[in-house]
Amino acid sequence: MALKVLILEDNPVARGFLSRVVRESFSDTIAITEAGDLETARRHVGAATPPPDPADAFRLILVDLELPDGNGMELLTELQRYPATKIVTTLYSDDDHLFPALQCGADGYLLKEDRFEVLVEELQKIVRGQPPLSPAIARRLLTHFRAGSTGSDAGDPAPSALSAGFNSRASPAPRSVAAPDHERLTPRESEVLTFLSKGFTIKEIANLMGIKWFTVNDHIKSIYKKLNVSSRAEAAVLASKEGLV
Amino acid sequence: MKGRATRLGPIFPSDLMPLDSGLGEDLRGRSRSLSRWMGWRLRLLVAAALLGCLVWFLLAQGLASQHHIAASWRLGAHSGVVLAAADDPSLKPHVGKVLATLGTGSAVLRWNDLLLVQRSPRWLVDDHDRRRQAPLNDQLRLAQADTALKLGFSDGTVVEVQTVRHGLASLPLAFWLMSAAALAVFLVAMVVYLARPTRRNLLYAAMAVCQAGNLVLMSIESALAIGQPAPFPGLDLSLRMSFDFITAGCMIHAACLHPRRLPNAERTASIGWAAVLSALALSLAGALPQLWWWLQAGSALGGLTIVALHSWSYAIEPRPFALVMRRFAAAMLVFWFLLTLALANTADLPALQHVLATGGPMVWYLFIAAILVMLPFLSKSEQVVREFAFLAAISTLATALDLLFVAMFSLGQFASLGLSLFIALAVYAGTRQWILNRLMGKSLVTTERMFEQVYRIAREVEVYPERTTALLCQLLRDLFEPMELNLIEMASPTSRITGDGSTLLVPVPVLSDEVIDRGESIVIRFAQHGRRLFTSEDSRLADRIVEQLRRAVVYDKAVERGRGEERQRLAQDLHDDIGARLLTLMYKAQSPEMEDYLRHTLLDLKTLTRGLAAPHHCLSHAAAEWKADLTQRLTAAQIELSWSCEIDDDMQLSVIQWSALTRVLRELVSNAIAHSQAQRVDVDFRLDKGRLHLIVSDNGVGRDPKSWSHGLGLGGVRKRIKQLGGEVEWRDFYPHGISCSVTVRHFSAMQ
Repeated sequence: MALKVLILEDNPVARGFLSRVVRESFSDTIAITEAGDLETARRHVGAATPPPDPADAFRLILVDLELPDGNGMELLTELQRYPATKIVTTLYSDDDHLFPALQCGADGYLLKEDRFEVLVEELQKIVRGQPPLSPAIARRLLTHFRAGSTGSDAGDPAPSALSAGFNSRASPAPRSVAAPDHERLTPRESEVLTFLSKGFTIKEIANLMGIKWFTVNDHIKSIYKKLNVSSRAEAAVLASKEGLV
Repeated sequence: MKGRATRLGPIFPSDLMPLDSGLGEDLRGRSRSLSRWMGWRLRLLVAAALLGCLVWFLLAQGLASQHHIAASWRLGAHSGVVLAAADDPSLKPHVGKVLATLGTGSAVLRWNDLLLVQRSPRWLVDDHDRRRQAPLNDQLRLAQADTALKLGFSDGTVVEVQTVRHGLASLPLAFWLMSAAALAVFLVAMVVYLARPTRRNLLYAAMAVCQAGNLVLMSIESALAIGQPAPFPGLDLSLRMSFDFITAGCMIHAACLHPRRLPNAERTASIGWAAVLSALALSLAGALPQLWWWLQAGSALGGLTIVALHSWSYAIEPRPFALVMRRFAAAMLVFWFLLTLALANTADLPALQHVLATGGPMVWYLFIAAILVMLPFLSKSEQVVREFAFLAAISTLATALDLLFVAMFSLGQFASLGLSLFIALAVYAGTRQWILNRLMGKSLVTTERMFEQVYRIAREVEVYPERTTALLCQLLRDLFEPMELNLIEMASPTSRITGDGSTLLVPVPVLSDEVIDRGESIVIRFAQHGRRLFTSEDSRLADRIVEQLRRAVVYDKAVERGRGEERQRLAQDLHDDIGARLLTLMYKAQSPEMEDYLRHTLLDLKTLTRGLAAPHHCLSHAAAEWKADLTQRLTAAQIELSWSCEIDDDMQLSVIQWSALTRVLRELVSNAIAHSQAQRVDVDFRLDKGRLHLIVSDNGVGRDPKSWSHGLGLGGVRKRIKQLGGEVEWRDFYPHGISCSVTVRHFSAMQ
């Protein structure tokens, strides 16, 4: 049975390139669906609202952020419960673009300008559950969770830059929400994040903390999950506040 | 802050409010003052004004009904009275002749006696003259009451004239002016007292009313050419003495209370009153021989006491008001001494003495009345005071010249008045600018400095909004050189003056959203170390400074925001348009070299746009990202990275610094990846006391860097480092490889 993959990308050349990356990354038979805009992508995943038949569903979705008819994050938000690995493919590597995407439920991100081999490797890592965490994203994560637990903004490191527009829509005021337990980071996770924010690699962190590489990776995965959960919880709180649910 | 506020509290209680600041306090809130004025105060004030006008009218009416000879007289060059002009046709031919006798059929008065001409008994030096004057005046009045008078001139001609009723229209200008001044002084006194009926203001009102009385007496004196109308000849002396002594008592009492209450104020005031009243009683009883000397000496003593009291007050607390009062008192005292001396020394020249005795006191009393009227407005406007001072000086000069001309050159009244006014105005026009320049010279320098300071503060406030208060305090201190400067927790909409010009209250503005409005005000007291009063211009100036500061900060912020938005738009456009195209090109690249080249370009573009979008980068954050980036790229090329970073100061990198270092690092590492075939790259980043040291070395096959041709990449590195003001050097690295060392000596300084 073929592995269903959706690539949402407006640039046809880039679409072709990403298809090659996907085919190179997995040994399974791949059925790639390409979409050039949000509208087409929505049509393809249209059956998403009633949970789709696991066999028929997309297993991997690559989403570009800047699209002709909107922002890829809209689709990510709609697909919060869609059981696929969702990956943001973008040119924007700054945390102001990536962090909201991660909050919307992306499992990782690929930078489109990377080399073919690098992209293949990164894609495999994400699907295996080794999400990338740049220092800037780690700092944002720290701020996000710290703000949730102490209620104070401990020095947001990056002022809102390129993405101010959709950033505010995608990340609904995290500070106003009291942090439930599932949202708090364990001390270990905090430590990992702190090291990551200082530019240490996973290997170095493992050495510094005296734990195994895999343990560090598990912490990172768990942080990702918590971010996703916390943003979903926020979305739920916000929705009920606004009378949507 | 609370402690300071409580300590400052006693500045404002009403019992310390100055004796004459009732007007000023009303200016605070218009609606409140209006409602205050609408009640009994306004009614009383209107009643007082009506009373004043009624008295004025009755007085004018009474004087108008007096009979007189329709002629004007002037003093002759030597003693004697000369007919200056006459309406009566029978007198016309005799203009210019000296009058010798005056009489009806029964009684003839010999007219060589200057006592007959208008003159107050208060200003007769000799007791004998004073005793002689009253019966003379009576006779003169009786003579004028008759309709027919015989005037004998010194050349022997005798003319019979009819006396006529004076009539309102023919009352001299001097009468109207003097009585109007009296009414004005009276009204100011009423306004001040009714605005704030305290003891001090009562004292002020009392002295003002006394001076108004003096002015009225002088206006009556000037109404008739010869003699005085009944019942004034009898009353004149006692009224004038009473007015003078009561004024002196009030002034001494006021000096004890204002501008600050002196120790034992009540006792001093009581002693003062006792002395003054007993002197008055003795004078009235006629128990003092050489009365004029007693009166002059007594007044001088009173003046000296006032000067002494104000000096004492200033020594205790240097309020500028005491200084101002002392100056006025001293000036008046000096005038008084000069007048006394002049009168005493001109006993041989009765004509000149007569002129001095009429004009001198008139000028002096006008002066004191003017000061009284001005006092409540002293702190209101510097300009008004200045112009008033000019005016007073000019009128004094004009009057003095007028008297001089009349006495020395026997000019006619109008001629001398016109000439003296002309000269006085010429002097005024000639010196005004010079005096103004002298006055303004110092503050011009201050203005220039202030301008600079306002802008410097605006810059600083923008960066550190919490320093607003301290900076504004500094500015006000430089501007006004006050003796005290405090902060109180009291909000006020605008700057204002309290304590009768001794205190200026400036609200601290909220110049940034980042600081909360604590409703503070800066209180500065005693400008120029207590030598100057604050005026309403100062408070306007303070308001304007605050406003300018606010505008400058808002403007700077808007400019900064505009710049930021523009940079972001630029970055976004570059990134979206050029980035997407470069990406497409990169995917379509024919060769790996081309692909790498385009990737590099794309990375540079991203660095550029990020630098544009974020104006500042924290060094430690930037280093973390450099490290993560290099790690990823070197790992992909299977090269090990050894990263060491030691920074002693986590400074903010400017866009130039950030983008230069980002590119240099990327370029050097790219070089190593592309050409060195190294297994390991060492990056050593150090910031030590503002000096940046960066070494990138590899263990590859590169050799002899001197022989390299510096293409786009290494040339770019040189260029960037030169931009930072540093040096870059490539060397062979032992045992093999290349080491590139970058040094920027004053890295922290080049923000």
